[in-house]
Amino acid sequence: MPLLDRSEYYDLIRTTNWTPSYVPEDELYPEEMSGSRGIPMEKWETFDEPYKVAYGEYVANQREKDAGAYSVKAALERSNFVDNADPGWISILKAHYGAISVPEYAAMTGEARMARFSKAPGNRNMAVFGMMDETRHGQIQLYFAHEHTRRSRQWDWAHKAMHANEWGALAARHFFDDMMMTRDAISVSLMLTFAFETGFTNMQFLGLAADAAQAGDHTFANLISSIQTDEARHAQQGGPNLKILIENGKKDEAQQMIDVAFWRSWKLFSVLTGPMMDYYTPLESREQSFKEFMQEWIIGQFERQITDLGLDTPWYWDEFIRALDETHHGMHLGVWYWRPTVWWNPAAGVTPEDRDWLEEKYPGWNDTWGNVWDLIIENLTEGRPELTGPATLPMICNMSNIPIVGTPSNGWNVKDYPLVHNGRLYHFGSEPDRWCFEQDPERYQGHLNFIDRFLAGWIQPPDLSGGLAYMGLAPGEIGDDAHNYEWVARYMPAQAAAS
Amino acid sequence: MTDAPEVLKPLRTWSHLAGRRRRPTEYEVVSTNLHYRQDNPDSPWELDPDIHMNKWYRQYCNDSPLRHEDWDAFRDPDQLVYRTYNILQDGQETYVRSVLEQFSDREHDSGLSPEWVAVLASHYTPARYLFHTLQMASSYLSQMAPASTISNCTTFQTADSLRWLTHTAYRTVELSRTHPGAGFGEKERQLWEQDPAWQGFRELMEKALVAWDWAEAFTAVNLVAKPAIEGAVIAGLAAAGRAEDDLLLALLADSQMRDAERHRRWASALVGMALETEGNKAVLDEWVAGWQPLADNAVDAYCSGLPGGDKIAEETKTAAAAFRTQAGLD
Ligand SMILES: [Fe+2]
Ligand SMILES: [Fe+2]
Repeated sequence: MPLLDRSEYYDLIRTTNWTPSYVPEDELYPEEMSGSRGIPMEKWETFDEPYKVAYGEYVANQREKDAGAYSVKAALERSNFVDNADPGWISILKAHYGAISVPEYAAMTGEARMARFSKAPGNRNMAVFGMMDETRHGQIQLYFAHEHTRRSRQWDWAHKAMHANEWGALAARHFFDDMMMTRDAISVSLMLTFAFETGFTNMQFLGLAADAAQAGDHTFANLISSIQTDEARHAQQGGPNLKILIENGKKDEAQQMIDVAFWRSWKLFSVLTGPMMDYYTPLESREQSFKEFMQEWIIGQFERQITDLGLDTPWYWDEFIRALDETHHGMHLGVWYWRPTVWWNPAAGVTPEDRDWLEEKYPGWNDTWGNVWDLIIENLTEGRPELTGPATLPMICNMSNIPIVGTPSNGWNVKDYPLVHNGRLYHFGSEPDRWCFEQDPERYQGHLNFIDRFLAGWIQPPDLSGGLAYMGLAPGEIGDDAHNYEWVARYMPAQAAAS
Repeated sequence: MTDAPEVLKPLRTWSHLAGRRRRPTEYEVVSTNLHYRQDNPDSPWELDPDIHMNKWYRQYCNDSPLRHEDWDAFRDPDQLVYRTYNILQDGQETYVRSVLEQFSDREHDSGLSPEWVAVLASHYTPARYLFHTLQMASSYLSQMAPASTISNCTTFQTADSLRWLTHTAYRTVELSRTHPGAGFGEKERQLWEQDPAWQGFRELMEKALVAWDWAEAFTAVNLVAKPAIEGAVIAGLAAAGRAEDDLLLALLADSQMRDAERHRRWASALVGMALETEGNKAVLDEWVAGWQPLADNAVDAYCSGLPGGDKIAEETKTAAAAFRTQAGLD
């Protein structure tokens, strides 16, 4: 007799719900950890994950995946790609590893929340593989980044960023802690696995992998595509729970969770991924624009998935689509301007050829963002670099914890969306950011963003040096222009006349 | 005049590991100091400090009666990382598959005595539920432990528990094919919920699952429940099986016990580390004293229906106590 096929015993592996009697059910599954929303145990047993894997297959597949990723790295180590790559690309690697490695490890905790507290047995089992996957993603990315620590102290931030109060790290923690660390099991499955992983990690891991392959960084391309194969599996925990929620009259709650998680994910990507794709990636290696990637992965695929499951597109969909032409340009300008406050070297990405590309992809770019860059370029060509760096603080949103931006110059629309709640004035970068706060003010009300901390006197001395010390950034780590301003020469009068 | 600030030089490793003499191992590079929630004791998570989950982590992780000034110093004695875990367990699973195939080829199940088949139905296949409670309890430790190096051990332990559950489900289906009238695949939930043999373990694990303090949960699960379960339900049952020519059960149990022994190695190391801090021994001893009667009753209830059960029960309880003594507890 041959071995049994997985399908013959799979259902028994996930037939594990029982009726507790030594401890009441609502103590075994506290609502705040479980989030079953009054839907009885039996209903959760209908959870059916579309992607099935049993333990033996899991360890075999994952062993093979790791063998692939680690051997590509080993084989390419001698080629010294990192020493010869465009500095803009190196900045992508530093920003990515700092913002992603440790949060991936932290996602293990979100998975463990489901593994322990979901009332759906299939969810509990899948989340065990999710815990393992996120352990993998944390470890393998730390390992890959670690070999570069000898190159620059900025690489240390692959491990250090999430332990620091650097503003971008703080924004990332606020986001990840909100979506995956402080929610009940069912909310984690919707907000982390469905909203964030189904839509956005595809962007970061497949979109960026395409750029990496173009840029010749096969180690990184291989690594992040390999990670994405795990994400594609464990992201499928949200869908079945969503179905159960809708079938049991909880559509509105599900919709609200998705709408909050989607908007928050978008804002994080606008500051992290947008600048990488449209400015840091060398022009010749850009597979598509950030907006085109968003249209493909988010608007094309994710929108269909939510409507197929019976949800509506978020109420702010028009605003989201409008913002695809705007937000990340503002974030990029802000990050480059406040470049000493990040752990990588932002690439300006505004040579004449870059700008032609930006104008083509984002018609009107030169008349808006371009005008601001013209001013920066003028200050640089005329020997006033001190005017191209931070003198004041930006307004920071109390939801996204990133700067409040809009279109400058001839398209001026920069606007604060304020809210007074319990006597405190909060600032938001958009109507949806303010709306997220209003859905659950108690989650957010006592949190201080970077500017609030500054005003509260936490940052001493209250100037750039105090800010950098508070953020844990010292010379050797702080960012500067990725190309050491060499691109500015293209705008020097003599050069411009010659070209 | 101000001194120009020092420019930080590149290091050969993460700054938090750079002060040591030794070059860090792969294990240390990818496993240490990853729980950023331990950085700010007032607000583990970067949200309002008073939300439920911030209170939960302050109360059940940071304010645990088991104290140590640097939990991050914990190291897994096996130094397992994700990559090596899969290599290890893929090897074990390849072995298990070949065992299952060989015993299936020689129609092992049809040679079992009716008496032993009845024992498998009453004392073996319902363990699917018990192993699942270990899986759930281990995943709780992963989200609550104060150091990533501890969480990693419990994450592998979570996966190992699912492994045991999976073996049991597999065998349940096989046995149901050969012995269709014996209740395999049908009666396990009822037995788990009602049969006196299982009620002790069910009570123990339901209560362990709501031991919210991370260190008490560790004590209940790793120092008390697991030695009892592994001694009686895995090794003990397998010993009874050997006497009944159920070598297949014995071989599966041996492979599972390799996982269990690894779990005991890190659990002992963690106890050893905890005992460095004054006052912790009393905390752990008191917890053990509270949980052990539940485990002893569970072992007695389970073994009373096993052939040679008295001896298995005594051996299990003695070995569990010896494990704790060797770890440095009373
Ligand atoms: Fe991941
Ligand atoms: Fe993930």
